[in-house]
Amino acid sequence: MKHLLLRLEPLIWLMFGQGILIGTILLTGWLIVFGVALPFGWVGFEDGQALDYSRAYGLASNFVGQAVLLALIALPLWKGAHHLRHLSLDHGGADYDPVVALSLYAIAAGGSIAALLAVIRL
Amino acid sequence: MAGASHPGAMAPPIPGPTRTAPPRKPASWPSHPRMRVYTLFGLTGIVYLVLGFLCLRIVWALGQGEAAWDTTMASMSNPFYIAFHWVSLLSVIFVGVRFFRLFPKAQPARIGPLKPPPRSLILVMLYCVWIGVTALFVAILMGGLFR
Repeated sequence: MKHLLLRLEPLIWLMFGQGILIGTILLTGWLIVFGVALPFGWVGFEDGQALDYSRAYGLASNFVGQAVLLALIALPLWKGAHHLRHLSLDHGGADYDPVVALSLYAIAAGGSIAALLAVIRL
Repeated sequence: MAGASHPGAMAPPIPGPTRTAPPRKPASWPSHPRMRVYTLFGLTGIVYLVLGFLCLRIVWALGQGEAAWDTTMASMSNPFYIAFHWVSLLSVIFVGVRFFRLFPKAQPARIGPLKPPPRSLILVMLYCVWIGVTALFVAILMGGLFR
């Protein structure tokens, strides 16, 4: 298992790095809209408003929208998984690393596959 | 208190030709303020992991139809979601500021004949991209563009 994880390390590092860089850049705007503006009523989802279903679907269902949404979902998952694995290692969890790493990467991989399905069906 | 560091935690199965010293844990671990900030940086992984699945929920609802979309949008006003989104926003800003400060220092000194731009310029470029993409994202989602 350790050998497999080391072989996958460059790929995981790539996803982790992009999760921090692209994930952080994309998530900031997303959080401002869905986490702040929407609950405070600065943007609405009723018919004719900025986040109504038909407009949101139109923005998301083209190639650019799908690619952005896939990056927005999948990359933060890999950032989170890899960061938590190393936090576990730093705090004395090396003996459990194969189980911790496999569990976290399985969550990130599962979420990434689900993200791919979610954007494909738009 | 954390346990002893594991010298072989990230060691390759076949030792490389370069001799390396075993990793040593600083005596101040984990109580030193810099170590606490480092741990906090690692803990943002939980936020990113949950946030990824929350974004997935929203996009999945969009694919399910108008009723599911409206229900999901209405649920964003739940106090739990509001609190989590505020924590997430602070975490994302914290990660961005810390990572972008590190990024210029991690660049290679030279790639062939090319040298990277000055560190301060790289930092300014990163912040411009971050602020620009965020402004564009907010403008599109709030109806200022592509309406």
